[in-house]
Amino acid sequence: MMKFGRRKFLKKSGLTLGALGLSLKGFNFMDWAAEAQEAEVEKHPTLCNTCGSQCGAWAYVKNDRVWKVEGHEENGRSLGRLCARAHGGLGWVYDADRIEQPLKRVGEEEFEPISWEQALDEIAEQLTDILNEWGPRRISFGHYPRSTGTFYIERFMHALGASTICTHTTSCSAARDTGFNYSLGGVPHADLSRSDYVLMIGRNHGGGIRTSQMKKMSEALAGDTRIVCIDPRQNDIAKLADDWVPIIPGTDLAMVLAISHVIVEEDLYQEEFVEEYSTGFEEYAESLSEYTPEWAEEITDIPADKIVEMARGLGENAPQSLVHPSWGGAFGALYANSDETARAVGCLNGLLGNINQEGGLIFYPTPEIGSLAEDEHPRPEEPDTRRLDGVGVMDEYPLAGDYGLPHYLMEKAKEDELKAMFIRHHNPVRNFPDYEHMAEGFRSLDLSVVFEINMTETALQADYVLPECSFMEREEVIEARGGPNPYLAMRTQVIPKVYEDTRSFDEIMTDLAHRVGIGEYFGFTLDELNEARLEPYDISLEEFKEKGSMMVDLEKPEEPEFYTRSGELEFYSEDYEHVGYPPVVQWQPPAVGVEPEDDKFKLITGKEAYHSHTATANLPRLAQITKDYDTNRLWINTEAAEELGITDGDLVEVSSGLASREVRVKVTERIQPDTVFMPSGYGNKTPFYETSEEIDAMNTNDMVPYQIGEISGHAMRQETLVSIDKV
Amino acid sequence: MPEENDDNSAKKLDRRSFLSGSAGLGISAALMGLSSASSNTARAAEGQKSILMDNSLCIECQACRVACQNENEIDEEYSFIKFLSWEEGQYPDVEYRVRRDSCFHCPDSPCINQCPVDALYKGEGQFTTLEVEECIACGQCEQVCPFDIPEIGEERMYKCDACQHLVAQGEEPACVSTCISYALDYGDFDEMLEKGQQRVEELKEDYPGAELYSSYDFGLLLILTSPADEMELI
Repeated sequence: MMKFGRRKFLKKSGLTLGALGLSLKGFNFMDWAAEAQEAEVEKHPTLCNTCGSQCGAWAYVKNDRVWKVEGHEENGRSLGRLCARAHGGLGWVYDADRIEQPLKRVGEEEFEPISWEQALDEIAEQLTDILNEWGPRRISFGHYPRSTGTFYIERFMHALGASTICTHTTSCSAARDTGFNYSLGGVPHADLSRSDYVLMIGRNHGGGIRTSQMKKMSEALAGDTRIVCIDPRQNDIAKLADDWVPIIPGTDLAMVLAISHVIVEEDLYQEEFVEEYSTGFEEYAESLSEYTPEWAEEITDIPADKIVEMARGLGENAPQSLVHPSWGGAFGALYANSDETARAVGCLNGLLGNINQEGGLIFYPTPEIGSLAEDEHPRPEEPDTRRLDGVGVMDEYPLAGDYGLPHYLMEKAKEDELKAMFIRHHNPVRNFPDYEHMAEGFRSLDLSVVFEINMTETALQADYVLPECSFMEREEVIEARGGPNPYLAMRTQVIPKVYEDTRSFDEIMTDLAHRVGIGEYFGFTLDELNEARLEPYDISLEEFKEKGSMMVDLEKPEEPEFYTRSGELEFYSEDYEHVGYPPVVQWQPPAVGVEPEDDKFKLITGKEAYHSHTATANLPRLAQITKDYDTNRLWINTEAAEELGITDGDLVEVSSGLASREVRVKVTERIQPDTVFMPSGYGNKTPFYETSEEIDAMNTNDMVPYQIGEISGHAMRQETLVSIDKV
Repeated sequence: MPEENDDNSAKKLDRRSFLSGSAGLGISAALMGLSSASSNTARAAEGQKSILMDNSLCIECQACRVACQNENEIDEEYSFIKFLSWEEGQYPDVEYRVRRDSCFHCPDSPCINQCPVDALYKGEGQFTTLEVEECIACGQCEQVCPFDIPEIGEERMYKCDACQHLVAQGEEPACVSTCISYALDYGDFDEMLEKGQQRVEELKEDYPGAELYSSYDFGLLLILTSPADEMELI
């Protein structure tokens, strides 16, 4: 694997320093393409970085420039394929506005470039002062969890005695995770293609793509599986599936309870399974008695006989039937009742007796991963410092997971309780509801440091921005992932650094650790760490770097197993009872109620197949799709639009209590009349995203006030009502 | 949903006359008298390959489009692969229809016949291919294409050539190898035709109007959930 230094590359291609040195504006694509025709091609394994799936990829390089990616066949996420976001995501590597060196805030959205020495010295000093004066409880580290981040952040924070590490999960799947944890003991995989009857509640495999899951969905669609999609909108799978069942947003819990009611009443549940593996069935069955299909029809707008039909479909096909665990979907982090909706879904699957059964929900094992030798590289102890975000604390969020509550931490920051926060590869300022709340909170910190490759909304509010090199330019910690195709994977360095003065996260954290006096825990190289992680396997690190991804043979579980406190499937949760919540799942409405008032709409959001989170609207290839198909528009039902005197393409003003935004509409039959849908991914608020600005449109986070879900602490992303007025 | 280019229709070859051969472009006998009756006889040219697309599985994720743009090193404004879609019916009984819209690699391509500088030819796998250096971006291919496919840039025309450089090495086009719905297949025409016909038979249960477009030896075969003439196809 020959590597060109930048000078060699520039000489060879005849480009001037100006084209590549300081900025990539003025780069001549045609010249490069012509040159590239003749070039030799290199291939390096890596992982895509555009969404949370981190699909394994082969990156092809010509003249030190990434040409394309292809799915890695030995990776359990990609299984050899990649979605549009992987192909489009290459744009970030060469974005003209990437951060080239450390930045220090000197004013509002104004930064001055400084040296690494200065940046790390100042950060270390301020962090040390804060720790000395206030203690480790008052600092936090937020990230979108990936293997390198998880390893280095946990080690760093634990060495400092700090426990408040948080992730994006409260804006994604916290409610789903919590509800499943306290019923089934975890989140299983859906054995879709071998199932006979599948209920999808809000989960849209065709938008929130995880390549391996889409493969199964496709097999299910092409095969004999009956797929029923519950969604206020006919989503990307619903448009191909057997059945689209619209529902009033936020009422899925009523439907799930009524389906469960029918299954119990008609004796369609798996009796033996329930008897052997569960606890609390009597109380659960009792509480279901009031949740009739007729009752649910009033709330959800789904005809009672449809509810009965779905119940029978699930019950009669059990255990080869399932209700999909979803992800963000309809109960990831959306409404006050999302937690209980998730728990109800867990329990319903329990009635179907499908845990660890073919065609059901399966808890696959995770491959083993080695650790650094304890005597040589001691691991810091997990601190018993109470978290600042209320997780695990009795009167705050006792049942929430250690994914943490970044939105609540912003409140803590404003109250001067949170003093310092580090954020890596995560953009909570834009990606959580209530932009003002998030931005103000982050700005009010005594010390804020963001590790990024481009100027996100969060980076814009920071005191210091430390530039990582892009995902194509760095090696990472080996990860081990379970599921139906368990595997090990790593990123290898695909191209030389585009900007010399950027660094990899492991390098930065090791340096910082030494400066704050915890260097003893960071006395290893990335290679040594990865060697240790690979130890259980019969492959050297060098060999593994050639492969990048490797499938692992693990035995599939045979018996159902539940990692709850009781070790059983919990229809009745003592944990809930202990902290004062109803031990058996009950109906509760969304905070904004069931039926919106006359002139209001429920605002929902979801992913498009070619966009993800907050970072794809700025990618030229993906932004172009939005332009070509005019997709950055608000969906509204044809009849509802007529009543408002609105036609397709019109500009409207959308107002919630929090804000007003203008957006163009897409008038369609594919959505429930009380609902409007805005695809996520638009509405960036950073001047450094020029491409994103060209397709600027409403971001639903601007319409939703800061709220916290009671049980899991989730961000209540759809708890809002809006009015629509023609402009 | 993409809209028709009404301003081009006057210049464009009328679709009916293309099929009946009355436009005098030397259309091969195989295309005269359109019939959607499928045929099992192989009339394909020697070495004819085809891309088979199952539109009943397409989620329009655009992975194919972007993979193609990267593979063929073209700017984002030009996409070789597009989609047309329709909603039918009224809430809540809404049917959704979609099909890929890209070069069909017609067996006796009107664009090859029309090109004034002979820049178009039948390449590897009998896919209609552009010799980019020869192209003068005059737009005549666009005018004569019955499917409205060629996009005319400043210096060249843009359209799918089934990744000639990959096909020449016995590999699949980039769209086929990336498709996350596994809706695309690639191989000998006869094999793709048979697979397509089989799938259409399966689909007829849920989609009575399902059809394979077409039974002629196109380089792009589309499995449709509705009759072709309801999907803006001749």
